[in-house]
Amino acid sequence: MLNLRNLRVTIDDYEIINIDELTLQAGSRLGLVGESGSGKTMTAKAIAGLLPNEAKVSGEVNFDGQNLLTLGDRELAKVRGKRIGFVFQDPARSLNPMMRISKQVSEAIRIHTDLKGKAVTAKVTDLLRQVQLPEPETLLRRYPHQLSGGQQQRVMIAAAIAADPDLLIADEPTTALDVTVQEEILRLLISLSEQRKMSLLFVSHDLGVVRFVCNQVAVIYGGNIVEAGDIDSIINRPQHRYTAALLAANPGMPKDDNFSAFIGRRLQTITGSVPAVGRFPSGCRFRNRCQHASDKCATTPSVTASSPEHRYLCWHPAQGGQS
Amino acid sequence: MTLSSTPLVSVEQMYFHYPRAKISPGGSGWTLHDISLSIDLKSTVGIVGESGSGKSTLIRVMCGLLRHQQGTVRFNGKDISEYQGDGANELRRQNQIVFQNPRRSLDPRMTIRRSLTEPIRALQDRTPDDDELITSIKRVGLGPEVLSRFPHQLSGGQLQRVGIARSLSVNPTILYADEPVSALDVSVQAQVLNLLMDLRDQMGLTLVMVSHDLGVVSRMCEHIIVMRHGRIVEAGRTSDVLSRPSSEYTATLLKAARAASLERS
Repeated sequence: MLNLRNLRVTIDDYEIINIDELTLQAGSRLGLVGESGSGKTMTAKAIAGLLPNEAKVSGEVNFDGQNLLTLGDRELAKVRGKRIGFVFQDPARSLNPMMRISKQVSEAIRIHTDLKGKAVTAKVTDLLRQVQLPEPETLLRRYPHQLSGGQQQRVMIAAAIAADPDLLIADEPTTALDVTVQEEILRLLISLSEQRKMSLLFVSHDLGVVRFVCNQVAVIYGGNIVEAGDIDSIINRPQHRYTAALLAANPGMPKDDNFSAFIGRRLQTITGSVPAVGRFPSGCRFRNRCQHASDKCATTPSVTASSPEHRYLCWHPAQGGQS
Repeated sequence: MTLSSTPLVSVEQMYFHYPRAKISPGGSGWTLHDISLSIDLKSTVGIVGESGSGKSTLIRVMCGLLRHQQGTVRFNGKDISEYQGDGANELRRQNQIVFQNPRRSLDPRMTIRRSLTEPIRALQDRTPDDDELITSIKRVGLGPEVLSRFPHQLSGGQLQRVGIARSLSVNPTILYADEPVSALDVSVQAQVLNLLMDLRDQMGLTLVMVSHDLGVVSRMCEHIIVMRHGRIVEAGRTSDVLSRPSSEYTATLLKAARAASLERS
């Protein structure tokens, strides 16, 4: 349903994104995992046609057989917001503080559907109920500041699904929220995607959260998808050294609630920090921080598939393979 | 009671509200409500809870940055309001904080050298020489070249190391760390958490860590305090509290954390 091919984005001659191939199947939930500056949000923006004007884009963003990069503004407007919905990190900044909740949600309905008058209000109430907000009739009249962060994010989700999109792109939707609220919102996203057979592109820095929500994952570093595939395969048998290091550095929670064995346990670290844009090394982007790097890593690795559902770009994979 | 059994910090029935808060006769309106706790020398304590639960306010009261209205807070057995004049500086020297966002807590116009010098001048009334500053920056894993840099020239992880060096430069007894890694990238968080554990062991520090991450707290802290709505919900040894939570709230927090975390054996 969504397929990126040779997607390249440059700003001022700096290469921000260079993705050979990335596919999201209909109805599936794909996590796009990366640290700050890795290009994950830029990838989401490239799909949505929301990149800044100075960005140069080439390649293909195929959505249902149509290359979105070739569409004009008017054609793109029929896809964006209607067939592809968006939810961003900070709901307080995405909602208009001067607008009642009813209007925030009804705007999307008026633009993308033929509904009018009372039918719109009915649809808004129904959407608020679908995102499990209590007393939707009362809530309609409220302003964003009268809602909690979790409620605001639910309103954002209601607006994003108003036109029944086939794909929802959620960029760090729970990063600003407390852990108990986070769990509720993640469960809501999972159930909406299942009920509506809606695909989800879930952008996050947190592999724990992605494991909970997604069945597929793509790990991005330095604008490259370094590893992609089935979530369990990648969490249990990471091949790319960056994915393996990221998993090892995650504090996690102790297995079987064995907290007494957890105390004092050091974390495995990754040396250095994520380079600034334009400062990534050539070849494998991770090689200047990788303990296993060799001269070979100065050349760009070719895609290796350890199974049809698991591909990676690494000359010295973590488990088996050539070394 | 022998001197050695006196806790380093003890808080009894302490209440705190920010200026202009309305306290109802029923007692609502307090930011911190009936807080009692004690922290032993060289122990490591994690304070967990959701945003607005009062955990950051609590550590600011304990180290004397905010003044409570009711109850007592003692440091080394002495009421913190009795630390006056030179005593106040001594209280500050012994109680140091590392803040969440090093970019906001370091002065952007000061070189790292000056940022490190300032607390020593202010609290110990002397100027450190180069050797001392180099030792202090090396202790946190940075090179001496960092001293002449400005904050904008360093990465988030390097800046948080500077923040830690700055707090440790006055040789404190207790280090409070307020969400010290939540502004950092995942791949850098582990470096800073390990550094805090190492420095605690090397320097014999008492460490109090505010965190929303139960995984981090259960690795680093022997003791845990769970807060909600300005009250302590539960406290005790971390492994006891998290294996057998006695409050429903702790259980909810634990379940949510477990759902969205990786499992580690």
